[in-house]
Amino acid sequence: MGLNAAANDGGAPLQGVRVVDLTVVWSGPGATMLLGDLGAEVIRVEAINRSSRGVSARVPGQPVVGREYAGYGFADRDPGDRPYDRSPIFNWHARNKLSVSMPLDVPEGRAAFLRLIERSDVLIENNTKDVLPKLRLDFDTLSRVNPRLIVARMPALGLTGPMSHYRGYGPNFNSLVGIQAMDGYADGDLMKAGENYHMDEATPADAAFAVMAALWDREKTGRGQLIEFAQAENVIQDIGEQVIGYQMNHRIPQPIGNADPVIFQDVFPTRDPNTWVAISIRDDDDWRALEAVVGRQDWLELGGTVVLRMKNADEIKQRLAEFTADKNIDEIVSWFQRTHIPAGEVMSELRVLKDPHLADRKWFQVRSHPRVGTHAYPGHPWRADGIELVWGRPVPAFGEDNEYVYKQLLGYTESEYQQLLASGLVSDKQLA
Amino acid sequence: MLEDSLSASTPVVTESGGRQIFAGLRVLDLSRWVSGEFCTKHFGDFGADVIKVEKPGEGSLTRRLGPFPDDVPDREKSALFLHLNINKRSISLDFSSATGRELLLRIAAKADLIVESFRPGTLERHDLGPEVLHTLNPRVVITRISAFGQTGRYRDYEATGLVLQAMGGPMNATGAADRPPHRKPGFLEHYTIGRMAAEASLAGLFAVRKSGRGAVVDVSGMEVLLAGADRRAPYLLTAAYAGVNAPRGVRSPHRGGSTFAGAFQCRDGYVVMYVTNPEFWSRFVDLVGEDNQEFRSTYRTRFDFDSAEEASKFEETARTWFARHSKFEVMQRAQAARIPLTAVFDIGEVFENPHFRERGFFVRAEHPMAGALEYLGPPWRMRGGWQLRHTAPLLGADTMPILEELGLDLNAAQSLRGEGVI
Repeated sequence: MGLNAAANDGGAPLQGVRVVDLTVVWSGPGATMLLGDLGAEVIRVEAINRSSRGVSARVPGQPVVGREYAGYGFADRDPGDRPYDRSPIFNWHARNKLSVSMPLDVPEGRAAFLRLIERSDVLIENNTKDVLPKLRLDFDTLSRVNPRLIVARMPALGLTGPMSHYRGYGPNFNSLVGIQAMDGYADGDLMKAGENYHMDEATPADAAFAVMAALWDREKTGRGQLIEFAQAENVIQDIGEQVIGYQMNHRIPQPIGNADPVIFQDVFPTRDPNTWVAISIRDDDDWRALEAVVGRQDWLELGGTVVLRMKNADEIKQRLAEFTADKNIDEIVSWFQRTHIPAGEVMSELRVLKDPHLADRKWFQVRSHPRVGTHAYPGHPWRADGIELVWGRPVPAFGEDNEYVYKQLLGYTESEYQQLLASGLVSDKQLA
Repeated sequence: MLEDSLSASTPVVTESGGRQIFAGLRVLDLSRWVSGEFCTKHFGDFGADVIKVEKPGEGSLTRRLGPFPDDVPDREKSALFLHLNINKRSISLDFSSATGRELLLRIAAKADLIVESFRPGTLERHDLGPEVLHTLNPRVVITRISAFGQTGRYRDYEATGLVLQAMGGPMNATGAADRPPHRKPGFLEHYTIGRMAAEASLAGLFAVRKSGRGAVVDVSGMEVLLAGADRRAPYLLTAAYAGVNAPRGVRSPHRGGSTFAGAFQCRDGYVVMYVTNPEFWSRFVDLVGEDNQEFRSTYRTRFDFDSAEEASKFEETARTWFARHSKFEVMQRAQAARIPLTAVFDIGEVFENPHFRERGFFVRAEHPMAGALEYLGPPWRMRGGWQLRHTAPLLGADTMPILEELGLDLNAAQSLRGEGVI
């Protein structure tokens, strides 16, 4: 029995499904996190000589100029002697996962890996497309070992095509599918927009959906299969209306900042530094309701219709900014919401942590781990009556589940296991 | 209004053929907005029978938003609706009437999944809440999408995409340091919420299989965004771990020293670079310092600048190099040097791009009103996977066949039409 099985009473939807996790960075780990939430036993296969958690074993020195934030990013600001167990870059998605140290590029590790594949349902990875073939772990090889295996591969541009060997991260592939070109302040200077990580946001839920679809199919057919999950072709779905619209009018969408073609909206300053309120006027009803918030004002004549609101947008923004600039954010939000005008604080993370609505819904989850301490963790993306969600161990320390995986799962004897440890191939310490 | 004078959308034969994964699954789509329609699209595109219930004479809200051909609003030609509703059927049905409600319940009785995105409490007001639906159909999964969830003090708050991004997304940390927070473009947040609702719905179908009992899923848009891999979740955990907010105007602030990322202007457009480790850094320094031996030897293995001035001097050298070349040239040279750098393509460049063309990603299909258009192909490829069986339905195009499937005869249907129920 794996950890997840022990952590719940057995009703989670994917309980009994074992996932071998070779994912790195953001999108892949986000997907396996969702599968773990549903009760799958997710086993991260990690190498001692690679920083597959995105965190080096070297304890960082003083933060470098301009990158102070990264320097703080450890539990209690302390990297300790195992920074790779204490960083939010890894720990945000690590709940419920198991960690085993297993070198895929040496015969002993390969043998163990194939034994693991034999006993698993899913292999999932998001490396560049040649990583698995180079390790001689192509789909045909894996499928011969286990015909019921589902393999989800996520090379961003797919397995074929002239750009399929391109390397990059989420922001790179957003730029290749047209999303980045739409993202910026209205003056069009993309360099000021900040990065767009939407591909990383888009992949996890759909990759988990795709794996579940393959499991659904396997219950009927008894066969596993290869899922080619080209992340760029998935995220471009999110601007599908622009791809179709382009064919209608041959128009290229331009960056419009916080604006919208039909809704009057922006963010406005408040009394407190760097505290902003987002306000949207969707229609004439919202505009009429405005009087109840700002009182009788001459400038309310500027926006009675959508055409007027768009035409006079700059002046209306100025008037609204004058209204909000000396007021308290909570008061502003409640006045607008009381009149049913959409408004909300642009919430910093520290503000989110103490949000009363999230407290009502018990969204944050407080969890402990001996190597990390006790902290609040971001909650599940959704909840349900009738679907059990798992929240067991918040983080696996590197190699924490070596013994379970090698001995219990793969059937290594105590002496075989000790030999692996002695050889230095398997460890509970990351070296890279 | 029933538009039976127009034929249902034209069936399209796709080359992949074969039985689709969700063939036989029935989905009742009560949603009227991007998130709900994107959720049910996941099931329809993979074989489920998705019945979309639309208000007579009005239809889904997505029909009202463009782009439209020549910018002329037409509820049958909205690019947004056409994109989100391929492979679905449409029944026009007013369930605020007693007869309409009765018909809706008859569809619900046979459904495996019901998706709705009304304001919390709306279904209950129509006496169509989860208890009613589960009494009728104990095994159905009911997915409820809302801005802030079905409970809690913001439950009845009004929201738009901007407000959701403000409260849920990493907007506070997006944009320039000296400018206001900046949102993501388009409807991206609504798509995010919709695909998470799809994942939850499918999890629900697995749960029902196991337990034999139905489920009610509460999808709060705010919480979906807070849990996001677009850095909001790690930023939240950083705040919980270390008591700090993510800064605005620092690209990839969570990354350590060897980071040089973001959009850079070239001669004819932009590229996006994502250098995040010492190996990429060295390759990048070699590329932009190709004519400058001193620059290369100074920075090849050094990225911990002594001062902000030195950092900006370094950036100036890089910017100058970018500005001298075209974005394609920069991308090709960088990729050859194994640096994660790509050109910023606009929609037109994407649509014509040989890579997506060679993969057959865009799929041409005929719609009775909007004509021939190329639709986006599979979001991922698998056996029994995505197909474009037919284009989006005209409003109410499938009303009569669906009523017949429910066992209504033609006369009964005609009288419902007279009463304005369908």
